[in-house]
Amino acid sequence: MAKEKVKERANWPVTILLIIGLITIIFPLYMAVVIAFKDPTEMTNDIAGILSLPSHWSLDNFIEAIQVTDFFNSFLNSLIITVVAVVASILIHSLAAYAIGRNMDHKKIFKASYYFIIAGMYVPFAILMMPLVKQTAVMHLDNMVGVMILYIVFYMPMNMMLYTGYLRNIPIALEEAARMDGASTWSTYWKVIFPLMKPMHATVAVITGLAVWNDVMTPLVIMGGQGVNTLPLAQMNFQTAFSTNYNLAFASYLLAMLPMIVFYIVAQKQIIGGVTNGAVK
Amino acid sequence: MASTATKVGSGRNKTFMAILIPVLVIFCAFNTFPLITGFLYSFTDSKGYGAFNIVGLQNYMDMFTDTRILNSYLFTFKVAVVATLLTNVISLMLAIGLSSKIRFKSALRGVYFVPRILGGLVVGYVFSYFFTYIVPAITGTESILASSDWAWVAIVVVLVWQACAQTTIIYITGLSSVPEDVYEAGALDGATGWDKFRYITFPLIMPSVTTNMVLVMKDMLMVFDQIVAMTSGGPAQSTESISYLIYNNGLSGGQFGYQCANAVIFFILIAVVSILQTKFLNSKEEQL
Amino acid sequence: MLNKPISRRALLGGAAAGAAGLLFSGCTTERADGKIEVEIVSYKQEAVSIFEQLMEDFNASHDDIYLNIQSPADAVTVMKTRFVRENYPDVIGIGGDGDYANFTDSNILADVSDCPTIEDVQDAYIDILDSVTYVPMEGIYGVPFVANAAGMLYNKDMFAEHGWTIPETWDELIALFKQIQSEEPDVYPIYLGYLDTWTILSPWNSITANMVPSDLNYQVNLGNAKFADYYREPAERMLELLDYAEPGPFAYAYNDACTAFARGQSAMYPCGSFAVPQILSVNPDMNIGMFPMPSAENADDRVVVSGVDLQWCVAETCEHKDAVYEVINFLSQAENVQTYIDDQRAIPCLEGTFELDPLFDDVAPWIEEGRVLDYLDHSYPSAMGCDAQLQTMLLNKDVDAFLTKWDNDWQRYNRSVIRKVQAAAQE
Repeated sequence: MAKEKVKERANWPVTILLIIGLITIIFPLYMAVVIAFKDPTEMTNDIAGILSLPSHWSLDNFIEAIQVTDFFNSFLNSLIITVVAVVASILIHSLAAYAIGRNMDHKKIFKASYYFIIAGMYVPFAILMMPLVKQTAVMHLDNMVGVMILYIVFYMPMNMMLYTGYLRNIPIALEEAARMDGASTWSTYWKVIFPLMKPMHATVAVITGLAVWNDVMTPLVIMGGQGVNTLPLAQMNFQTAFSTNYNLAFASYLLAMLPMIVFYIVAQKQIIGGVTNGAVK
Repeated sequence: MASTATKVGSGRNKTFMAILIPVLVIFCAFNTFPLITGFLYSFTDSKGYGAFNIVGLQNYMDMFTDTRILNSYLFTFKVAVVATLLTNVISLMLAIGLSSKIRFKSALRGVYFVPRILGGLVVGYVFSYFFTYIVPAITGTESILASSDWAWVAIVVVLVWQACAQTTIIYITGLSSVPEDVYEAGALDGATGWDKFRYITFPLIMPSVTTNMVLVMKDMLMVFDQIVAMTSGGPAQSTESISYLIYNNGLSGGQFGYQCANAVIFFILIAVVSILQTKFLNSKEEQL
Repeated sequence: MLNKPISRRALLGGAAAGAAGLLFSGCTTERADGKIEVEIVSYKQEAVSIFEQLMEDFNASHDDIYLNIQSPADAVTVMKTRFVRENYPDVIGIGGDGDYANFTDSNILADVSDCPTIEDVQDAYIDILDSVTYVPMEGIYGVPFVANAAGMLYNKDMFAEHGWTIPETWDELIALFKQIQSEEPDVYPIYLGYLDTWTILSPWNSITANMVPSDLNYQVNLGNAKFADYYREPAERMLELLDYAEPGPFAYAYNDACTAFARGQSAMYPCGSFAVPQILSVNPDMNIGMFPMPSAENADDRVVVSGVDLQWCVAETCEHKDAVYEVINFLSQAENVQTYIDDQRAIPCLEGTFELDPLFDDVAPWIEEGRVLDYLDHSYPSAMGCDAQLQTMLLNKDVDAFLTKWDNDWQRYNRSVIRKVQAAAQE
């Protein structure tokens, strides 16, 4: 068979296994979608009832969810916070990881800094929360700017790990070549190393972006009750002490999910792109 | 020649220090400094706000006689170890699958990422439903959420289900950084299948393995949302995680000072565990 | 612009992030227009539209005071973060619960004994509020506004259809359970959502409040009593309830129980008036009633469990109490209270004739005569996990272990309170 020689021959057994595995995701997603379309009076306690399709398909829940959450404003706030946090993370964390990663094997101060920052990952947020509330208020950062700064700090340890790990697969020889041509460390980084880390940038963007997008605790304690909402903050309106409107909440969650899926698909192309464009040719 | 090298070297060092110092400053300002404040709170009976008294080492002494805290440590570490291993094995398999020459690659990768995006309320509702109604209907047994011996398994299932998405991405990225010429060289040597994975791919994605083991372990040790969504610490307090106690009793329960002490001990414990873990795993990595 | 349900958000939403801090500064100071601003943060997020209406009415009728009521999501956390920032709202609207006890304990709230509205509050609710604070306090630290009540919720139509009558003693209750089991095998007498541990407190409160001295916690703190001597019978009754509920109630959540009761899968649901909105969301046409938990030894001694659901507490730092009292007086006017209780199915804490929701038809005599006692758990330390201890007892069916642990944990979690109570008693 001549076709066997073609490089892009599809691996059908793996494809089929992966499709079977999708059940674990499609089922919860299906439940979320049908609940999002149902009226509260259609909620039941039996399997047939919960798995059944809504009695009629209407976008009422979605429209109401948009109104209750003041969707477009909340969405905009979430978007601003997420974009700033993600862009800043990519620029700052990759640079910091480069400085630390390239020196930690032979310089004590960098090695110590690495472990110092990584250790920060294990500080339970609950212990930081009240001190940070006080601190951001004193610094006049009890607002969106403060929330963004906190995200840049909170995700620094994780991203530092990701970037330093990835840097190990980028040969130092590449930099040395650039340096021999007279480029400074700074410009070598931005011209050679930074572009090479593109797949990791995409990964960091996805992971940081999602964590920020879904986070409710930080905006709640830093800027809660001021009338400026992020989407997850606004979504808390569906839950009061003794009642939860699952139908509206699920509709709202599905709406909030869509931009993230689009973002992921775009970012994912970059991860794959990294392979074919080949940093390391 | 030697003098040029030194000059370049010192310029390089200056650049590195100019990067490192501001990063450390901002990190200390918003992580280390509040941590120290929290540490000071651990010597008080503060509720997190309002008036408080200094109680010295009382909180730390109380911790060692608190069976609830002891049980929460046992539960948390049990769940974390099992969930970390399962997540990594499943994710690595998924990542290899999703990186091979499959059809519908983009769509499959997109859908396998969904668990990471679904909010906690949705995940909690769906899985509670699954364990309360669907599983008992199939097996004919009582829901494991009602069993203090088995409820932790339900927590592990949800944790692994949600964590795999992110872990898989990191593995996919790791696999993408494996230079193709290494693969090809391996193929020329006749290395195939498991051998190729074991001796060529695996050592090269070791940095991703380290990262994932550490990151997943950290997330699992901090488990909180899933507990709230699934069991609220029950049945019979069998699924109270450390973070659950810190949040619940510290911020809602008025035991902020005491739970700060708990958080300090927890922080030291897992920081040490993870740094040892990193050191061990790092020693298996190779710099190209 | 797009959908704008709340204009305040619209105003702020587009504002630059930095501006938010400015708009937020300071406790009530004088505004640019010379009015005194009174800021209320209320935890009743579900009542946001009522309060926006009341706020508008107030501001239209007052030219010296500007009233600003906010009802953010997770308001209690928001309040705590504002305390940390030392940016206290003038008035906080919270329930008479553990948070209130903690706030008074942290010296955040002011004595409002001099508030004229206090005169109009029913004595029973002043007493109830008093029982919540850990250490008996001089003075009054909140103006009760509305209350809720707990007992046994029942399906009125189902009861009428079968001619079931409201039980007045525990034996009658059990007899009714048995009657339901024999007449309607498909219907559970009660449904329990014990996966959510807090729901266990509802029947526990109403059973126990009818059986133990109302100052038991205080007596224990003084060292005069032990819970083990009083809690055995209530615990056994809690176990007895399990025989008449769906099998394995520890797998079902609050939401499952509300849905089941709403759909007629059970005749009764031992919970409070606060659960009614969730139940009605599933079955808007349902006729729900509530009767007192018949667990008193003597039917005439039955009490209804009722707690302050919303009260107005004034921050210690507030500098213009007169303006605040004017606001509280306005909110407590009969027609405004009636508006609120109609919308929220609440019980007014104020003297006067109000029209109660039909839900309270059967408990109205108790409420009107003040034969009410507070939820016991309002004075349990929340960190002790009393609800989880009850769940453990019900799962393991081990009352002795439960009683021992309860007394031990009480001493541990209440250490500082016990010290204060005993010091106060010696004075």
